[in-house]
Amino acid sequence: MKQHTIRLHPLGKELIVNDQTPLIDLLHEYGVEFPCGGKGSCGKCQIQLLQGVIDVSERHRQKLEVLRLPADRRLACMSRCTSSITLQVEQFDHLILADESSFEFVAESGVGIAVDLGTTTIVTQLVDLKTAAILAVETLLNPQVKFGADLISRIQAGLDGHAAEMTQLIRSTIGRMIQSMLKSSQQLPGKVVLVGNTLMQRIFSDLDLTPLSCYPFQTDDIGMQNFSASELDWEVPESTLVQFYPSIGSFVGSDILAGIAATGLHQKEEFTALIDLGTNGEIVVGNRDRIICASTAAGPAFEGANLSMGMRAVTGAISSIRLADNKMVSSVIGNTEPKGICGSALIDAVALLQKQELIGMFGEISSGADSLQIEGSIHLTQKDIYEFLLAKAAIAAGITILARNLSIDPSAISKVYIAGGFGNYIHTEHLLSTGMVETTEDKLHKMGNTALIGAKMFLFGKGELAAEILTKTSHVNLEGFPDFQDIYISKMMLG
Amino acid sequence: MSELIAKLLEAVEMGKIDQKSPYPPQLRGMDGAHELTQQALEANIDPQRILEDALIPAMGNVGKKFSENKIFVPQMLMSAKAMGASMVQLKPFFASGAIKSKGTFIIGTVKGDLHDIGKNLVAMMVEGGGWTIVDLGVDVGSDRFVEALKNNPGAVVGLSALLTTTMVNMGEIVASVKAIVPDTKVLVGGAPVNADFCRSIGADFYAPDPQQAVEYLNKLAS
Repeated sequence: MKQHTIRLHPLGKELIVNDQTPLIDLLHEYGVEFPCGGKGSCGKCQIQLLQGVIDVSERHRQKLEVLRLPADRRLACMSRCTSSITLQVEQFDHLILADESSFEFVAESGVGIAVDLGTTTIVTQLVDLKTAAILAVETLLNPQVKFGADLISRIQAGLDGHAAEMTQLIRSTIGRMIQSMLKSSQQLPGKVVLVGNTLMQRIFSDLDLTPLSCYPFQTDDIGMQNFSASELDWEVPESTLVQFYPSIGSFVGSDILAGIAATGLHQKEEFTALIDLGTNGEIVVGNRDRIICASTAAGPAFEGANLSMGMRAVTGAISSIRLADNKMVSSVIGNTEPKGICGSALIDAVALLQKQELIGMFGEISSGADSLQIEGSIHLTQKDIYEFLLAKAAIAAGITILARNLSIDPSAISKVYIAGGFGNYIHTEHLLSTGMVETTEDKLHKMGNTALIGAKMFLFGKGELAAEILTKTSHVNLEGFPDFQDIYISKMMLG
Repeated sequence: MSELIAKLLEAVEMGKIDQKSPYPPQLRGMDGAHELTQQALEANIDPQRILEDALIPAMGNVGKKFSENKIFVPQMLMSAKAMGASMVQLKPFFASGAIKSKGTFIIGTVKGDLHDIGKNLVAMMVEGGGWTIVDLGVDVGSDRFVEALKNNPGAVVGLSALLTTTMVNMGEIVASVKAIVPDTKVLVGGAPVNADFCRSIGADFYAPDPQQAVEYLNKLAS
């Protein structure tokens, strides 16, 4: 078969690929983003062609025209490699939240591996089961992101015949991460604990994705999934116990089960809330007697997917903004020129625009302009601000509805934990001032990657902790709540 | 008399439901759509005029502002509620034939999909455009659309879906509806839907926002 060379400038990387290889298969590893999953609708996967030729189909040409891109730009999702080319691909680094917090445990012998399989990112940690010390860590983008940023586009990809590929891809990726952690380890793992949302669990487990594609979004209860090293093709002993922990219900999976364990809310008398601001915003409210949880579609805006200049927390993204002398000052990941804005800075931006009265209570730009400058060429459009309002309203409405479901006043929630990918970069005062989380400063705590903390806790014992939480926890469908629409819309207002 | 109509138009456009409603702040304490409609009817203003000269233009302005991103969902909902406070008093005149509706619009979110809000906003805007609404709710399959069409001959059908995985169910509904009454017009909308998809399933119109649904329907009625 004919082969071509792709040179990535300025990375200095050369890839030898077969003729007709789709660029989407190669470039997602180098930070090119495909939020719409390669449908050609978002234009975020544009690349700069420095040398050579990429054949442009009629449909591709139309998209380039609609997006008004310079002549040397191509959409990676619609391009195949038919000759040797050189592409401009910026150096990129992603911020993925690992964890080094301490937790209570009963010492065991040997080592174990905790895996937080997120929709966007994967973190693996090698843990000494005697001391709970972290011996090694690996972080990576979920290779499925080439099929789209959100859950629904992954499900669609599965229904379109890519399910087996996604399964194979995720298994081999995690296998490589584990192998790389074990390189410097004297001991081999006795246990591997995987946590993730229900879709991640089903893709990893090679199960049908159809039940998650439409109402009632309910799958059969498959409980704990056990795997052998040989069926996963992982280089760990065949005796290693590899377990994907059980889901709670609908899309809410073992990552939230682990999150509940991390907060310890299942042991407390007073009510506690956990908000996981991942790709799919999940919310939990409960105490030692009863725990309920729900998922919201808040994620895509916080991952930058629906914003005109939105991006994930990678090099070039504005990650936080503060006000100095009435001017917005932003921090950019990697200290480079800002290329876009990520979820944590989106919250900052809206909160600060509101503080400066540049936007009103409905998010409307006071001057009537179409957009507002954040820094340099980075702007938030009126539509971006509305996207934020939809996302923040989904979270705020979720907490309100879960509290009503438990017949408690939201003020009776004594602690609110914020977890998830960019949770640590968030300014909590902006969660309060925008009304995204309706509580008081003293009750609000950032807790980092609770899914990973919980997964490590699950490495100890024989699954009793997860089982205890599972019996207390149930899933609630927010849209099914009678006043959902009025509550949701009322939360779209700022403050 | 025309002053009442102008005031009602403003109240609906601004989302002032009734006198005690705190929203919008700049109209605090003033009469809302509820009181103004009452006063207009007491002053013997033709109900048809109340609809055509106040409610329809008010909701038209709201729809345009929404299309242009000048207002957002909460303001649109407040206006729709204000319209509702007026419309409820006009209902007897629709029943008696004193007000003529432009036609009937059957709307629902398709099977497998529970998203309600976008569909509701379209329904409210179309009602504010002078149409009679038959709202079938969410998770609605072909059979219920067909049944509603049989009960409302000549109605236009609107389908909503918010997920790529559920919008595929629109095709079957379009086919079933057109199999019963071939010249039925079907319009489709929702975040993942576009004009190409609309064509591919044989629907008649793709409405990117509520206002364009209203404008399409008005063209059909004229």
